[in-house]
Amino acid sequence: MAMYETIFILDSLLTQEEIDKTIDRVKEIIEGNNGKVLTIDKWGKRRLAYEIEKKQYGYYVSIEFEAEGNLPQVLQTEYNFADKVIRYLTYRYTKNKLKARQREKEMQKRSGENLGIEDEQKEKKTAAKQKVEEVENA
Amino acid sequence: MPRNISRNTRNSKMSMGMKARKKRVCRWCKDKQSCRDLYIDFKDIKKISRFLTEQGKIIPRRTSGNCARSQRQLASAVKRARHLALIPYVSDVPR
Repeated sequence: MAMYETIFILDSLLTQEEIDKTIDRVKEIIEGNNGKVLTIDKWGKRRLAYEIEKKQYGYYVSIEFEAEGNLPQVLQTEYNFADKVIRYLTYRYTKNKLKARQREKEMQKRSGENLGIEDEQKEKKTAAKQKVEEVENA
Repeated sequence: MPRNISRNTRNSKMSMGMKARKKRVCRWCKDKQSCRDLYIDFKDIKKISRFLTEQGKIIPRRTSGNCARSQRQLASAVKRARHLALIPYVSDVPR
């Protein structure tokens, strides 16, 4: 099992329902082929750097998943079949990408912890200030 | 000899007329370990676009100072970003 990410661009004129439908369809394909969906990230509507099929905007969706090596091809046939998909890219995570991903996760965790500490410190500071003011007032 | 003169002027241009270049150091690698673990993300357009010309071409290694590993990764990252319409294949420079 390897980790992959697939990104596809949908027509931005689709309704939210249709977008969700296509996302679900991709999800089903991944899960139907012994894959495991890890994260779904909707980037939302974005301006394309150049026109594709006379379209200026696109709706970007990225899905991270774990699967066997034949799945990207299965996905490809699906993408080619679905005319809502303007562009797609599926790639396998390299060793370094996996490391970078883990680092990112750790950083997020740490920053979360740090925020907690900072809040505590702030509270302490404000408490100390209040005390000083009380003393001064007295 | 005219040939020599032209050479000299060219050399003096190289040393004086061009912008003062910074040291050629790979900007992606801080140390050996970070160079080995380097991953250039094609979604990070801000970082990548520093290594593109205005027209959207990849700046050569001899100019940017990238190390071989970074340049290889950069190239594939740029190509992926282009495919997904995150950065243009070509953007015309107004004359």
